[in-house]
Amino acid sequence: MSGDAHAHDDPHFSAEKVFLALFVLTALEVTWGFVARDLGKLMLWGGLLFFAFWKGWFIAVYFMHLKFEGWVVKSLILPTPFLIMVIMGYVGNDVADKEAPLLHPIGSMLDPNTGVVHERLEEIWKPAHEGTASEGASEETHSGG
Amino acid sequence: MSHTLAAYDPAVDAPTHHHPVYDYDSGPPVERGKFAIWLFLATEVMFFSGLIGAYIVLRSAAASWPNPADRLAVGITAFNTFVLITSSWLMVRALFASKRGDRNGILFWLGLTILGGSLFVGIQAYEYVQLVHEGAIPRGDIFWSTFYIMTGFHGSHVVVGVVWLICVWFRALRGRYTAKNHLGVELAGLYWHFVDLVWVLLFTIVYLF
Repeated sequence: MSGDAHAHDDPHFSAEKVFLALFVLTALEVTWGFVARDLGKLMLWGGLLFFAFWKGWFIAVYFMHLKFEGWVVKSLILPTPFLIMVIMGYVGNDVADKEAPLLHPIGSMLDPNTGVVHERLEEIWKPAHEGTASEGASEETHSGG
Repeated sequence: MSHTLAAYDPAVDAPTHHHPVYDYDSGPPVERGKFAIWLFLATEVMFFSGLIGAYIVLRSAAASWPNPADRLAVGITAFNTFVLITSSWLMVRALFASKRGDRNGILFWLGLTILGGSLFVGIQAYEYVQLVHEGAIPRGDIFWSTFYIMTGFHGSHVVVGVVWLICVWFRALRGRYTAKNHLGVELAGLYWHFVDLVWVLLFTIVYLF
């Protein structure tokens, strides 16, 4: 083992300092997660995202050496934040308009035999040891399960 | 004195070490392995972005969402986060050792990294068992569905990472890595740091939001 002579293994950065920063940021983040819960969602989520961003930044830039890579590697990974924004943009389209009714409530179950949409899975299916399915379910549908 | 000009027979006449020499390299100016792993990681970024995007939709559309701290053991998972971050740092030390050509250093630091990853998986498995005993199953409600999908996929990535690191450890044991040839350690390390990075985000979103 070589625990001694590695004070300056990488001239670009100190792994110990980055590790310490990650450690402190995680401690602060967990504390913030409890302390800021009464301050409102904006403060809570804003703070948490701040801590998470910098932790991710330190890992990607220093531990993954992204800062010191050439243009090829950077050009591979840098478009992904843009694509994430595209995904989140489409997602935002779905969730932004709270007034627009969803086609089916989240978590609803479509009974393939009757076409009826149920609010909960338990309405059309129960584990075998709990007995038969309740009203609205067809025995044939789940006879194998 | 006369010479017989025989036909050129490459099987006989070609130099044994003959390789075509070009004054350019048609490949990208980076090792192929590193190019491949970064391309793979880019796809992984999109994979986890899709999961997180789905989580945002489901959570935003839900009539209400429980406080994660009421349902999940945030303390033990925070400790698990420290474990994974520490293993990431240990991985950096293993890479530094490989750059020095220090075989024993690789084995030591990589061994600790594997232990850290295994501990993370063990703690997550313990958490799952506890939750299932309490009746928290994936089809229970949308909170648990998203919880198990996101942490489960990440956990499977950690398992793959541990297996990969074990393979690298055995290769190091056989002396396959030198100061000039340590790309295998570096690639495994990139994947391991990525798994750590994803967990940093998932921990925030799933456990603290």
